[in-house]
Amino acid sequence: MSAMRVDAKVVMLGKESVGKTSLVERYVHHRFLVGPYQNTIGAAFVAKPIQVGDKVITLGIWDTAGSERYEAMSRIYYRGARAAVVCYDLTDSSSFQRARFWVKELQNCEEHCKIYLCGTKNDLIEGDRSLRQIDYHDAQDFAEEIGAQHFETSSKTGSNVDDLFQKVAEDYNNTAFQYMTEEPGVDLGQKKDSYFYSCCHNN
Amino acid sequence: MMSQRSERRGIHLDQSELLCKKGCGYYGNTAWQGLCSKCWREENQRERQKQIQEDWALAERLQREEEEAYASRHQRAQSQPTITPFSKFEERKTKEKSSKVNTVTKFFTPSAKTPPKKDTTSFDTQSSPSPSSSSSRHPPADTDHATREFIDFLKPLKSGREIFKQCRAFTESMVYKRDMGADELSECVQDFYQNLSDRLQTQFKGSTEHVESVMDEVEKYMMTRLYKEVFCPETTDDEKKDLAIQKRIRALHWVTIEMLCVPVDEEIPEVSDSVVKAITDVIEMDSKRVPKDKLACITRCSKHIFNAIKISKKEAASADDFLPTLIYIVLKANPPRLQSNIQYITRFCNPSRLMTGEDGYYFTNLCCAVAFIEKLDGQSLNLSPEEFELYMSGQASPHWPQGAGASSPGSAALSQVHKRLDLLTGLGERQDRVIEKARQLESDLIDWTDEVEQKVQSVLESFPQETHNPTATTASGTTSAAASAIDSDNVENERLPPPLQPQVFAG
Repeated sequence: MSAMRVDAKVVMLGKESVGKTSLVERYVHHRFLVGPYQNTIGAAFVAKPIQVGDKVITLGIWDTAGSERYEAMSRIYYRGARAAVVCYDLTDSSSFQRARFWVKELQNCEEHCKIYLCGTKNDLIEGDRSLRQIDYHDAQDFAEEIGAQHFETSSKTGSNVDDLFQKVAEDYNNTAFQYMTEEPGVDLGQKKDSYFYSCCHNN
Repeated sequence: MMSQRSERRGIHLDQSELLCKKGCGYYGNTAWQGLCSKCWREENQRERQKQIQEDWALAERLQREEEEAYASRHQRAQSQPTITPFSKFEERKTKEKSSKVNTVTKFFTPSAKTPPKKDTTSFDTQSSPSPSSSSSRHPPADTDHATREFIDFLKPLKSGREIFKQCRAFTESMVYKRDMGADELSECVQDFYQNLSDRLQTQFKGSTEHVESVMDEVEKYMMTRLYKEVFCPETTDDEKKDLAIQKRIRALHWVTIEMLCVPVDEEIPEVSDSVVKAITDVIEMDSKRVPKDKLACITRCSKHIFNAIKISKKEAASADDFLPTLIYIVLKANPPRLQSNIQYITRFCNPSRLMTGEDGYYFTNLCCAVAFIEKLDGQSLNLSPEEFELYMSGQASPHWPQGAGASSPGSAALSQVHKRLDLLTGLGERQDRVIEKARQLESDLIDWTDEVEQKVQSVLESFPQETHNPTATTASGTTSAAASAIDSDNVENERLPPPLQPQVFAG
């Protein structure tokens, strides 16, 4: 697995114990591990190939430490990411505040990074509606405002999890072509010049 | 007298040390590695000869492939406009080089007496410290090895020669850019990677695995050769940063597992084993030359960390467990030249690997760990600013945090020390008492013997010589005489029962 080639980097962001790792675990291994305290399951890095149309795209999914003490370093994590899944706990309004923080950070620092807003632990709400602290429409409005996709998932039942990552892969596939045609064209010209300049310079 | 004085000055040398190492009887010279002029010339020539032959072989091969490639390139020139001008330049350069080598060879071959080549490998290793010539012409043994491996790898490839030529030319051109800033160097190398991989991409018709395996080898070859020039270059403040982080980590020696919330239980032997391995791996990173190998060290280190967490928690680890543990490992390991290594990898590693793959993930975590250590304050360890200051200044230490209900963990340690000191003084007192008693016993014993002696004396005096035995008059010895006198006095001896004999009872 370590030698696997990865097309796109996807970072998981979100407050501690919102279920970032469970989400990845459910998606990659189709399982949900039950424990008294759910913040540690699965590995921190997974490479997952996804079939998109007639192509296979491999997502490198990066789990991140959500604790506030590492907040200052989060920028190092999402550098160069093509997609970010910003998670919040549907039953915890403070986690949504933190999600807003990350969205702001991403918008400031990584303009090429697509944002996916993901409310987790939907199964808890289906069990007891009064637990919901984040209104679906509020989150939806916020998502539209920032131009993000919005999902409500449950890692326990698996609902919406595959859809989320499928969407990530499809979006990447669609935008990848734009990058290929846009960027290297400009770069090449510069490179050629600097390269030759330096070569002749030696002589 | 003379030799004594010179010895004191430290310039005394043994006669044998001055002689030629070859043992020819002439005097040697340190500039000639302890050989005499004659032996040195012989030795040096042999090395040069070999070098020249190698160079020549390489030049010849390059020329050959140049000619081979020439025709085909003309056909392809239209489709690949980016290489043509460059390869023309390259062509000129190789020709120039080969002609140069030719003349040098001519210059050397007739005069050389060509001593019998018996042990070329040993001379090969000696060649590296040779003082003359530029370093690019005298690559050390390991870069030679890298070149050979690279050539071997490229041999089966259709365009292998061209790749090799371009890499070689680029690597050599880098030597002239030594004065450039590290970022510019990095840009050059990254541009080269990008250009080459783009070209390979079209060549291999989009087989990315293939391109990547070639790029790995390219990176390995180039960075092995360039390592000395571009690792921690003088134009940057990498070294200063290295020292700063090293000092910082040393100052943070008191940070405990509990403060960082590391979910690792080092009491378990298997876990502490993994921790040790992780520390070893992250330290080993400095000894590698190729960015990819350095990254592999970090990945290995991370795997050991995951293992340690898994055993401690009996669950697989997430990033929330991993990052603190990595920080802890870095603090414990204090890896040499940490910043230089990170900068070097960032600048010269293949970008695709660094940005997306698994290695990249662990490397990013390492960068985070370092950033955390740099910025670390009391708050990030759940300590008050005062406590943090105390620990940093070394006035207190948290290493017995559970000690005796003391308010600050530092006093717990102190109370431990006091307790031990008390115990020691108690022991001392008791020992003193024992010694005193022993002395008293000794004097008592002396007194007692004196007393006994006195008593015997007084008894002897009060009963003086009442037995008058005729034998006593002889000078042979009064004591034996007295004994026999006592015996003889004992008249009723025969009437006593026989003395008790020890008897053995069965059972």
